[in-house]
Amino acid sequence: MQHASGSRHVNVERWSRGASALHCIDARAKLGALLVFLTAIATTSERTPGIYAGYFVLILVAITMGRLPIPAMLGRAALVLPFSAVFALVTWWAGDPAGALVLVAKSFLSVLAAITLAASTPWVRLLDALASLHVPRPLLLVIQFLYRYLFVVTDQAARMRLAASSRQGAGNGWTRSFHAAAGAVGVLFARSWMRADGVYRAMLARGFTGHFAALAVTPFHRRDAVFLGVSAALAAAVRVVL
Amino acid sequence: MHIPDGFLSPPVWATLDAAAIPAVAWAARQAQTDLERPDDRRIPLLGVMGAFVFAAQMINFPVGLGTSGHLVGGALLAVALGPATAATVMTAVLILQAFILQDGGVMALGANILNMAIGGVLAGYLPYRLWGRGRTREAAIFLGGFVSVALSASLAMTELLISGVPMSRHLLAISGLLFLIGGLIEGAITVAAVRAIERMNPGWVRTAEPLRIRLVVAATLAAAVLASFGVAIASTAPDALQAALSMREGGHSLWFHKAFLGLGAMAMLYAGLLLVGRCAGRPLLDQTGVDQKPRGSA
Repeated sequence: MQHASGSRHVNVERWSRGASALHCIDARAKLGALLVFLTAIATTSERTPGIYAGYFVLILVAITMGRLPIPAMLGRAALVLPFSAVFALVTWWAGDPAGALVLVAKSFLSVLAAITLAASTPWVRLLDALASLHVPRPLLLVIQFLYRYLFVVTDQAARMRLAASSRQGAGNGWTRSFHAAAGAVGVLFARSWMRADGVYRAMLARGFTGHFAALAVTPFHRRDAVFLGVSAALAAAVRVVL
Repeated sequence: MHIPDGFLSPPVWATLDAAAIPAVAWAARQAQTDLERPDDRRIPLLGVMGAFVFAAQMINFPVGLGTSGHLVGGALLAVALGPATAATVMTAVLILQAFILQDGGVMALGANILNMAIGGVLAGYLPYRLWGRGRTREAAIFLGGFVSVALSASLAMTELLISGVPMSRHLLAISGLLFLIGGLIEGAITVAAVRAIERMNPGWVRTAEPLRIRLVVAATLAAAVLASFGVAIASTAPDALQAALSMREGGHSLWFHKAFLGLGAMAMLYAGLLLVGRCAGRPLLDQTGVDQKPRGSA
């Protein structure tokens, strides 16, 4: 059970720095469009393939608008399939193959839509959008710090894992390697704690007064409103007509 | 166990999203007053500890038979940082996972937060709070890890079941067994990790505060409610399944009803966010000094 979430994300981070038409849309408009779209998918229970094809085409339009690599995006979205497959197989086995396909389609499309937002919006802008939805600001600041140190700390863990496996070799008995792993978690905890202290001291040294500056307020253009309106209307149209 | 989008039915995710809002606001607010030093020092600490959770999940623990498990971390954080702070850190982790790592859905975020960041963390802390002093301490930490994972997973399973995701008895039995094993592994890892941390600096792990009777009553009550909830779900599971199937048959006539439900849920969600932002967010904003008024600059 290895979590390669860190390395998985590197592509999305790179894609999110593009300058396409989709990247230029305000993050709030894109987040709103995503929520409407996900609601449309979630409330769909029809088994006609047309409606899911319609959603898929809409996402493809957005991906093309963002000049994002379609195969790589589909590959990322496919990571949800193992989870869906378990429940889909049970549904199929219970004599409901159409229901199984609907389950797979809905989860795949939802993830693809969420990736399209993440791949076309720098993370900081996305946090701004969440702030405009009144998510508590301290929580957003915690997420910002979390994101900033995510790769630093996971890289440290990867190095520790490599070092431990090159030291202990194989066949050491699983109780011993269990305790070694516990030790590694302990050391990681200690280093994170001390790193946080260091970060705080560095902030003080640079004149941190105990207050965080407000995040930049970006204007909401007419083009953003149009994007939100059109995508919501299209999602609703697919939902109702197809 | 992160629930992706597409599995929970609109009434279920909307209710859970709405319920998660006050819970998260409470945790974030409590986390700020909970600290020995109530200043912004905590924010870097909480952020880096969130990164620690990700990193700790990369470390493999051999659990015999050639398989390995990893720490989930809710109980460990609760014991080390206190329940409110731990819940805030786990919430931050889940939001990050939902929006950029696609671990868990965006609409299912409320469900995942309630299952893991709120339920898992509080359940993980409860045994420590009750028996975390003296000779029962390690047993309490073990139990915390166990309960944390078992509760999160069974909550997720229950939500899927209520949503009408079909599940055979075999799947339920197998997943129940997996939750049990997962809980035991989490308990063992949490105890071992707490030992390792305390060897370096005992001050990093909180001592369990003396017990207050109110808490015991609340805990017993919560346990009773959860248990009866579980029993009720288990006994009505076939009915829920049937209901879901019959709803599908009438799917076309119900689409308006469902779309209306979804939109209503979204409106409710936003209203809830605004309300909580007004009530709980304001003091937090003032404390962190994030306001739009220009400060007098020299």
